[in-house]
Amino acid sequence: MLKSIQGRLLLASAFALGAASLAQAQTVRVSGFGGSDPAVVNGLLNDVLADEIAALGIEVEYAPTDGDYSQFILNALSADTAPDLFYTDIFWSRSIFTPGQAAPVDNPELAAALLPSLVDAFTYEGQLYSVAKDFNTLAVHFDKDAFDDAGVDYLDENDTWDSFQEKLASVQGSLEDVYGVCVVPDYARFAAFALATGWKPFNDEGKTVLDDDFKRAFSFYTGLIDAGAGVLAADIGEGWTGGCLGSGKAAVAMEGAWIIGYLKDAAPSMEYGTTLIPSDPETGNRGNLIFTVGWTVNANSDVKDAAAKLVDLLTSEKAQQWVLEQGLALPSRSALADNAFLMGDSKEQIANRMVFRGASEGHVEPYFFGDLGGAWLEPVNSALNAVLLGESDVETALSEAQAQYDALQAN
Amino acid sequence: MDTTERPLRPLNVLRRRQLAVLAWVYFVFIGLATVILGTFAIAFAASLKDNPLENPFRFIFPQITPSVWITAADLGRQGAADPWWGGFAPGGELVFSLTYAAPAGVDLVTPEVEVPRRKPGSGLAAAITTTFASDYALVELTGTSDRFFVNADMETGQETRWLARTFDYKISYEAQDDKGVRVERLPFTALAPRTQTLLEATLPVTRMERRGRVASWNNIAPGALGLILNSYRRVINETVDLSTGDRLIFKWMGNSFQIAVGRVVLMIVLSSLAGYALARLRFRGVRLVFVLVIFSMTVPVQVTFISNYLVVRDLGLLNSNWSVIMVMIASVHVLLMKQYFESFPREIEEAAMVGGANRFQIFLHIVLPNAKPALIINAIMAFQGAWNDFFWPFVLVTNPPSALAMPVGLLSLRESYGGGQGDWSLVLAGAFISIVPVLIMFVLFQNYIVNNQVSEGIK
Repeated sequence: MLKSIQGRLLLASAFALGAASLAQAQTVRVSGFGGSDPAVVNGLLNDVLADEIAALGIEVEYAPTDGDYSQFILNALSADTAPDLFYTDIFWSRSIFTPGQAAPVDNPELAAALLPSLVDAFTYEGQLYSVAKDFNTLAVHFDKDAFDDAGVDYLDENDTWDSFQEKLASVQGSLEDVYGVCVVPDYARFAAFALATGWKPFNDEGKTVLDDDFKRAFSFYTGLIDAGAGVLAADIGEGWTGGCLGSGKAAVAMEGAWIIGYLKDAAPSMEYGTTLIPSDPETGNRGNLIFTVGWTVNANSDVKDAAAKLVDLLTSEKAQQWVLEQGLALPSRSALADNAFLMGDSKEQIANRMVFRGASEGHVEPYFFGDLGGAWLEPVNSALNAVLLGESDVETALSEAQAQYDALQAN
Repeated sequence: MDTTERPLRPLNVLRRRQLAVLAWVYFVFIGLATVILGTFAIAFAASLKDNPLENPFRFIFPQITPSVWITAADLGRQGAADPWWGGFAPGGELVFSLTYAAPAGVDLVTPEVEVPRRKPGSGLAAAITTTFASDYALVELTGTSDRFFVNADMETGQETRWLARTFDYKISYEAQDDKGVRVERLPFTALAPRTQTLLEATLPVTRMERRGRVASWNNIAPGALGLILNSYRRVINETVDLSTGDRLIFKWMGNSFQIAVGRVVLMIVLSSLAGYALARLRFRGVRLVFVLVIFSMTVPVQVTFISNYLVVRDLGLLNSNWSVIMVMIASVHVLLMKQYFESFPREIEEAAMVGGANRFQIFLHIVLPNAKPALIINAIMAFQGAWNDFFWPFVLVTNPPSALAMPVGLLSLRESYGGGQGDWSLVLAGAFISIVPVLIMFVLFQNYIVNNQVSEGIK
């Protein structure tokens, strides 16, 4: 009898404890991209970090969003229906930070563990607002068979613009059905050359000046076609340089690690190599862009602390190690730079390694244009388009672009 | 002068002109149908292909070739005892042959064959695939046979003697610890020097890679339907809700169906009641109400969408089908129903009134049953409009992925598989699946659509 009463009491207290812990459990609503990304986040939440999340007394409601994510999150923030924790792309991060919709990251230890360039990218007015979850930079991927068949040496880290162009022209000249590289009228690729010269998108006064360095890079990039080293991607029915490489129409692509998944599907047997972006022969430096997405805590969330703790977990070394080993994304923590996975010799590992190194080699800028956002890209992309399509010469196109920047930045 | 020639009679001239006009009309209609249906047919053909973006577009490809269907069925039967959907299952054993050719004197080497560890696509499926045929497949070369043939050079016409060697392989399923599982795909690659050419294979090659060195097949045990409808199977199997395991394409279809049915029911109730009231009841402000109904037709939804969104948010209905159902605008249907009710004979209603029926009884038991044709036309229009509605589902339902409506789901397919990933056959297959319900509805109600729209027009 006594045992029975004790048992009931125990059961009741256990139930009460359980109820109490349930009452304490805080629900954090999390959103992210659609596509294949939910596989990564679900893996982290349900497998890799499940115990740690439960120990913190956090329940996660994860709702990935397909379609235009930036539109979704900006609308949701305006309507006060945004989740507690969400992705912020560096490209449109200012739209979130400026109106104060991101909670500051008050975790110096975490900030110190991240790659400095990624911390800078998400720092606004001296305050860090997002924790980079991963990143990408540009690298040069090349089809080894095309180089072998043409009898041309592979591209390597020692290549300058000149040797890069020379090798590409040799491949294109030797093979009837292969172009050197696909050229696209897009700053997101051209910047690798422009930044190598030491030019910066914004000078100390915050203005864009298309100086002689920029012009030199611009002339080189747009001149690749005339030099017999490339073709306009649109002219061979492709929209991006990766598509040209995957379809075998070009020997080289300049893309980030996102090309790996595409090549696994479109050209699974391709033997490709990856190396760093070629350096400017005058400065000896490389240029690159950082594309990154960070976790941001909603400033209006009722569970900001719980969301911040969840960010710590999602960007922890354990989490990033797992993501890296799945070959899904590059880690934002500098401690993982020497990770065994990044040191491997498979084509995917080499590609990841080169993209990782791209963040700390030469002049690297985030793919971010302050308050102007995407509007900043318009003049430079128009100039690239005009010259590549033969509608304008370099001088005219650049003076028109400069006039547009002057107008954009008049105040 | 040839006196035997009969003069043209006016009737013949008229007949000729009529025939000429008829021929012109006929050809114009054929031309229009070709343009409209042609794009449809090409898109459908592309949805079946492995590479829908291939350039130039081939009109004869393996997925529509009956002899390949038979081979695919046979390979499916060998791989998983399933001639329809194929696969690779315990006990599976396939015979697959490759024939390489080279000019006599050039060494024909045995290709390096492999069942590679390959993930399908580049979207979600690539991240969630855990079973691979490569873990179970054992490939053995079982024999070779040679034959010579004469090959004429396409340009010079010069004839040379070539050797063709056929390599027969057996690919068998080796289950470890009897724990084998059925795998949907059995990819296969053959690496050979560029000096030899792949002449033929049991199943047409999916693509040549590495500048002609590697012949690559996505699945050498597809089964007949697995070959033809591969993209359709992929779009169903590869778009899943990770938390529930639900097939998203069916969830999207179910959501669109709920929205469409909900809107149709709401439209029928609202438009018939409002239409009848405006047609028959004389109350203060009836004209104003009518003008407001007409005015509401002129206001674009984008003008009211923020206020509607906030109302839906405050009602807590965001991300639910109810939100999309309730933002329907029924003014067009109200107008159509009003017109119909006005043409209904008043005498019948008056007779019912004399018989003691009240206004609602008259509406419900006499007027409404007679308004069936108008209601059906309105219902079909509302259903089609709701099924294809993109704007409201896009604004009001953003997540989870299983809550999306079909058109927004198709956008998410495009984001996940189209664009840079280039997996357009999946997007096309999804688009074609989305038209099936509307197609069925049109087939079922075609009599009403044709008869009523035409007769309404003549009136």
